[in-house]
Amino acid sequence: MPYTTFNRAEFDTFSQPMFFGEHVNVARYDQQKHKIFENLIEKQLSFFWRPEEVDLTNDRKDYLDLPDHEKHIFVSNLKYQTLLDSVQGRSPNVALLPVVSLPELETWIETWSFSETIHSRSYTHIVRNIVPNPASIFDDITRNEFITRRAVSVTRYYDDFISLCNFYTQLGEGAHTVNGQTITVSLRELKRKMYRMLVSVNVLEAIRFYVSFACSFAFAERAKMEGNAKIIKLIARDEALHLTGTQHMLQIIARGNDDPEFAEIAQECRADVIAIFQEAADQEKEWAEYLFKDGSMIGLNKDILCQYVEYITDQRITALGFDPIFDVRSNPLPWINSWLNSDNVQVAPQESEISSYLVGAIDSEIDTSDLGDFDL
Amino acid sequence: MSAHKSYPAELASEPFCLEQAKSANDHLNTGFELEPPSTPAPLPQQGELYLPESGNPEQPETTPQLELNGMSKPAYAINLASGEQLTFQHANTLLESLEGQGVDVQFQCRGGYCGSCRARVLDGDTHQVNEPLAWLNDDEILLCCSIPRSDLKLKL
Repeated sequence: MPYTTFNRAEFDTFSQPMFFGEHVNVARYDQQKHKIFENLIEKQLSFFWRPEEVDLTNDRKDYLDLPDHEKHIFVSNLKYQTLLDSVQGRSPNVALLPVVSLPELETWIETWSFSETIHSRSYTHIVRNIVPNPASIFDDITRNEFITRRAVSVTRYYDDFISLCNFYTQLGEGAHTVNGQTITVSLRELKRKMYRMLVSVNVLEAIRFYVSFACSFAFAERAKMEGNAKIIKLIARDEALHLTGTQHMLQIIARGNDDPEFAEIAQECRADVIAIFQEAADQEKEWAEYLFKDGSMIGLNKDILCQYVEYITDQRITALGFDPIFDVRSNPLPWINSWLNSDNVQVAPQESEISSYLVGAIDSEIDTSDLGDFDL
Repeated sequence: MSAHKSYPAELASEPFCLEQAKSANDHLNTGFELEPPSTPAPLPQQGELYLPESGNPEQPETTPQLELNGMSKPAYAINLASGEQLTFQHANTLLESLEGQGVDVQFQCRGGYCGSCRARVLDGDTHQVNEPLAWLNDDEILLCCSIPRSDLKLKL
């Protein structure tokens, strides 16, 4: 059915699946089929930050003092992060909003994507501070073959889904002839493409980003580029929330309570999931080789980063209910936890909206069973 | 910030006792109970509650520990599927407790949204002190959001 920005039909929200049901009409949050997305929105809003809050004046000096091979590691890593957030700042909106059917999920997708645009803005902030001409770094993202090769694998599943989805929203299911080409649109195939896309988004947020975080924090472990690490820390906090959001979508789909056909597809795609994770891990290892091609840095080299890729891949795939691929149980970079720990992100409760301070956050419902274990 | 929080004197004479609360939960005990302590617990000195801030949250004696008069916090046995036998008594969360006892626990955000400290409850009952945001299967908890309500058997 064609997309409409305000669906006139009346329908029961609770009977709608997450995707491919009725188009959303009223952006209302009084009835929620999946309350978790509302919780994620509140958490994300409470995390709001601006890159300009972080002082980067020392980073410029640190950067100039870095040896050339470390400059290469730092800048390449930054370009990769810029690429990933450029993709994430728009793709969830473009791909998912036309087919979403629940208002809280629609708003989560928008909130999620918006926070990625803050990440993109912070890369510009970082680049402006370390080099006199930011274009020298940004222009290379579309020219450097190592980066562009990565762009292909990051965006392939998005583009695949979006192109079929466009035909679906325009023409509906069936075989259509467009510009002399026959295009077969089936909802089942579209759902399959969406499932693969969500898995690849999860891989992007949960593995690819974390590999890049490891590099950023490795500099700060040696007290270099610390302003940059502070920004990356805020980004990492957001990404942890985003990957939880994607895990929820994938698990809700796989459970079948939402859309039984989608659950069948998730079951059929199990081999694809493993392949997508495996492929991403291989690509990240290849990337590690490129990063350290001219030399290692203290605390991080190609081998340790590759072990971390395997460790984090296992962590993420088991979270989705799959068996680990590599069986790496212990974290080869234990120090990364103190950087990824949000307790260490300094925010005073009165300065930020910590969700537990929010008005109305108290659960005021009481039931006789709550008093069941009271003895007088 | 002080590591101690003073409580008004009347609170110390409250009739409600955590020990009683524990015996009320006896039906939840799962057969791998704690050994009785070999030495009697030291007498409490005054009504204060220890709030761990640094160091080992399960060994508050390293920093002076004062309990509410006549009350000691209930201790629960925590058995890990890997065979380790631990106790939970003073820590704020299971994550803190396990870390304090030298277990290599996966963690990241410590705030319930990243899901790194996901663990499976094989036996026993837990209470969620904070609402977790991360995806959890029916038998799973986040260590950073949970405390025991009975002796526990966990698989990390």
